[in-house]
Amino acid sequence: MSITIVKSGIQCSIQDLGRWGYQQYGVPVGGVMDRESAITANRLCGNVDEEALLECTLHGTVITCDETITFALTGGGARATVNGCGLDYNRLIRMVAGSQLKLHPDPQGCRTYISISGGLQVTTELGSAATYLPSGIGGIAGKNPEAGQQILLKDACRMQEWGRDIVIREDGFGVGNWRAQVQPLPHVNETVLIACESGPEWDWFDADSQLRFFETPFTISNHANRMGYRLDGTLLQLKEKRELLSTAVTAGIVQVTNEGHPIILMADAQTIGGYPRIARLTSKAISLLAQCRPGVKARFSMNGFLS
Amino acid sequence: MKPLRIYSISDQALTIAFSEVISESANQHVLQLHHRLQAAPFPGFIESVPAYSSLTVYFSAQTNKEEVTTQLNKLLTEFTEDETLETGEMRKHIVPVCYEGAYGADLQVVASATGLSIQEIIEIHTGMTFRVFMIGFVPGFAYMGILPPELEMPRRQSPRLEVPAGSVAIAGRQTGIYPAAIPGGWHIIGRTPWRLFDKNAEPCSRLCAGDLVQFEAITTEAFEQLS
Repeated sequence: MSITIVKSGIQCSIQDLGRWGYQQYGVPVGGVMDRESAITANRLCGNVDEEALLECTLHGTVITCDETITFALTGGGARATVNGCGLDYNRLIRMVAGSQLKLHPDPQGCRTYISISGGLQVTTELGSAATYLPSGIGGIAGKNPEAGQQILLKDACRMQEWGRDIVIREDGFGVGNWRAQVQPLPHVNETVLIACESGPEWDWFDADSQLRFFETPFTISNHANRMGYRLDGTLLQLKEKRELLSTAVTAGIVQVTNEGHPIILMADAQTIGGYPRIARLTSKAISLLAQCRPGVKARFSMNGFLS
Repeated sequence: MKPLRIYSISDQALTIAFSEVISESANQHVLQLHHRLQAAPFPGFIESVPAYSSLTVYFSAQTNKEEVTTQLNKLLTEFTEDETLETGEMRKHIVPVCYEGAYGADLQVVASATGLSIQEIIEIHTGMTFRVFMIGFVPGFAYMGILPPELEMPRRQSPRLEVPAGSVAIAGRQTGIYPAAIPGGWHIIGRTPWRLFDKNAEPCSRLCAGDLVQFEAITTEAFEQLS
C-alpha cells in the first residue's frame, strides 16, 4: 500500500513537528512551517499530531495511490482537484486506487499539508522524519521525494477504518460532511498583521527605528525559504554600533542584519545567531507567516508588548 | 555566578545569559547548568542549548512559562551555592590538521595582516589547548577559543561561496572547523581529515561544548592517508 509522487511540484517535502534534542549539536529543529495547519491535517485523519506528512509549497504536486486512501488537505497556496473535480481543504477525503490528486495555482496561502490516515512509512533520523536538506537528514534518504517515487503507508488497518462512512462517488472519490474550523488564509494582495513581542535586543534600536518597525509595512522578499524570510522595507538602525555575542536563536526570531534588513527565522533556522533580535513572533504568527509568499506585505503588531 | 538576564526567545524558550562577552568561566556555568538539566530535567523540559555565555532552555508548549522560570531560578540559587557541580566528561581531542599548500589557503593573507610568519601562525595554533564553547551555525560546527590577540583577524570582506569540509579557520579570537562544504567568511589556515558531523554517530557531532582540542600538524601525505 503506497502513494506515488507523480510530480513533486515547486517543493514537496516530508515533515513532522520537528527534530528536538539535537540543537546542542547544531542540528536545527526543522519540521513543518505551519504547525497549526499540519496538526489540523493530522487530527482530521485520526493521526497523532507528530505523524509525518507532506508539506507542498504552492502548486504543481500530483499524487496517486495504489489502494483506497483517506486523507486531508490543510493550509493553502493551491487549489486541489481529485480526478479533475475541485475539492475543499480542511475536510476528510477518500479516493480510490489510481485517482490523481493535483495542486493547482491559487492566490491564497503558501503551503498545503497532506496528511494520510495511518501515516507515511518513513524512517526517522535523529528522532524525526522531518527533511533538513542542507545536511541531508530525514525525508527520503535526506532528500525530498522526486517524480515517480513511491512512499509506503504505515497503518493499513487505520487506513481502512478511518473515514469508512464517506460515500465514494462515481468519479472515484468522496468528501466527509464536516470540516475543521480554521483561520482565513492571507491573500497575496493583502497586508498581513504579524503579532510579535519585543525581542531581547529591542532597546538596542533607535527610537525612530522602533517606531517604523510597527508603522511601516514590510514586503516579504524573494529571499524567503524554510530557513528564514528576509523583509524589504525601511532599514532599522541601532542606537550605536554594537556586536551581539552569538547565542541561541529559534523560529520566530526577527533578527536585523548589519545593513538593517529584518530577517524572520523560520522552521529550519540555525541554532545559534549573532544579529540583534528586535522582536519575536508568537507561535500563531509563525504559522500565519508560513502561509505568506514573497510579495505579501506584513505589518508587525504589538502583542502584550513591553516597552 | 549570577545570571545577568533571563529572557524569552519564543513561547517555548528561555535564555539565561551569564555574560555579554566570551568568557571561560561564564561558559563553564552554562555547561554546568546544561548538564544539571539533562541529568534532572523539570517537567516539560525538552532540551537546552549552550552558547558562549548563555544557556537556552526549551520546554513544551503545554508548560507554563512562569513555572519554568520558577524552576530555573530555584536551580540557579542552588547553583550559586555550589560552584563545584559536574560539567560532564572532560574530553580532550588531538585533531590532525594539514597546514600545507592549498589546505592552508589563507595562511599568507593572515601572515601579511598579522606580521607573523606562516611557521609562527602554525606554532601558535598547534601550541595551545582550545576550549569548545559551543556547537552551532551548522550541524557539528565547533566554536573554539580563545585565540591570542596577535592572531586576531576580522572576517573576510566577502565570504567564500563554498568552504571545503574539514577546513580549519580563524576569525576574531575564535577558531573553528567547517563540518561540510558551505559558504563561510572565516580565514582558512588548514584542513583536517576528521569527519565532524555524522548523523548516524552517537553523538552526531564529533566535538561537543566543553571539550578540549589541540591541533596537531600533519603532512599532506598523512592527510591523504587519513582521509
